[in-house]
Amino acid sequence: MNVITNSSKSVITTAIHIPFPQTFQSVRWARKPRWLGTAKSKLFRIPPRPVIPKEEELELRRLNNNYRTQMKSIRNYLTERYHVKYLPSSNVEQIREDFEKDFAQCNEINTKWNEEIKVLREQRIAEEINKNIEEAKKQLNEQIMLDKKNLEKAEEEVRLEKEAAKAFITPDTLEAAIEYAVNNPVDYNYAIDMEGNKIIGKDLNSSKL
Amino acid sequence: MLPPGSGTGQFSQFSKKAIRFVRKGCTNRPFFHIVVAEQRKEQFMPVIEQVGSYDPIPNEYNEKLVSLNFERIRHWIGNGASISQPVQELLGLSGFLPIHPRSYMTAWRNRRAEKLNDSVETKEKAENVDSQTSK
Repeated sequence: MNVITNSSKSVITTAIHIPFPQTFQSVRWARKPRWLGTAKSKLFRIPPRPVIPKEEELELRRLNNNYRTQMKSIRNYLTERYHVKYLPSSNVEQIREDFEKDFAQCNEINTKWNEEIKVLREQRIAEEINKNIEEAKKQLNEQIMLDKKNLEKAEEEVRLEKEAAKAFITPDTLEAAIEYAVNNPVDYNYAIDMEGNKIIGKDLNSSKL
Repeated sequence: MLPPGSGTGQFSQFSKKAIRFVRKGCTNRPFFHIVVAEQRKEQFMPVIEQVGSYDPIPNEYNEKLVSLNFERIRHWIGNGASISQPVQELLGLSGFLPIHPRSYMTAWRNRRAEKLNDSVETKEKAENVDSQTSK
């Protein structure tokens, strides 16, 4: 025993060189490292051997023998059935023939379906076109009505503007306008009460209103 | 990117394969994937294929849930994969393989322990009754 502990100590000194031990202090570790060896209190402890009764041992042996035999046969069966080695070998001609046969069958079904679908599709497209034409006509009418309305609105605006233009000051009427303004000065420097009556102050030249 | 838990499907042709558990739970909560992996690979290394799962903690109906993909297990056993003992036990209990001897052993030991426990309890009861009557 002494020999073993000595040798394990020598392992520590030779194999593990820790320059700064404080940096290698682990916070949490799963188990004691191997190189720390057996604890002194456990050094000469001999763990008790499990005692299996003779009867039980025989029974277990019998069961295990049976199990192994059965497993062997199952394994052989599964190997024969599923092993890559025993998979049916590929015959290229046969595979191609099978494929073509299958493809022809599928193609037939597909063509049948396509014909059925074609009727439905054409019907649907015709319906859609009719619907679209009607929709377009309706939209066209709506647009015409809208244009008409807009034109009327514009005409009305123009008419109002023309009426208003009569009161505009042009270069010809400028002199007269100035004269009128000079002769008729307007002073808005007054207050109003809640009823809207003008309250003219003392400072205001009321004669000019 | 992490390899998927359901397996990478990659393996070398002649390596030994094993059907075994991979522990996928967390602390105090075991959960196992039943996988096909290369025997020499460690537990948490990428697996070839997942073929089932096993939840060893009973649920609210007192059931331990196991799922197994028998089709793939058959294929892999047929292609020479070995089966670990716990998986053998599960497969035995599921009726896919014969019952594993260890299952029988656990059962009879449990039965024996229960019987012993019962007898001890009845003895104690009897003793208690005796002591009360003697008083």
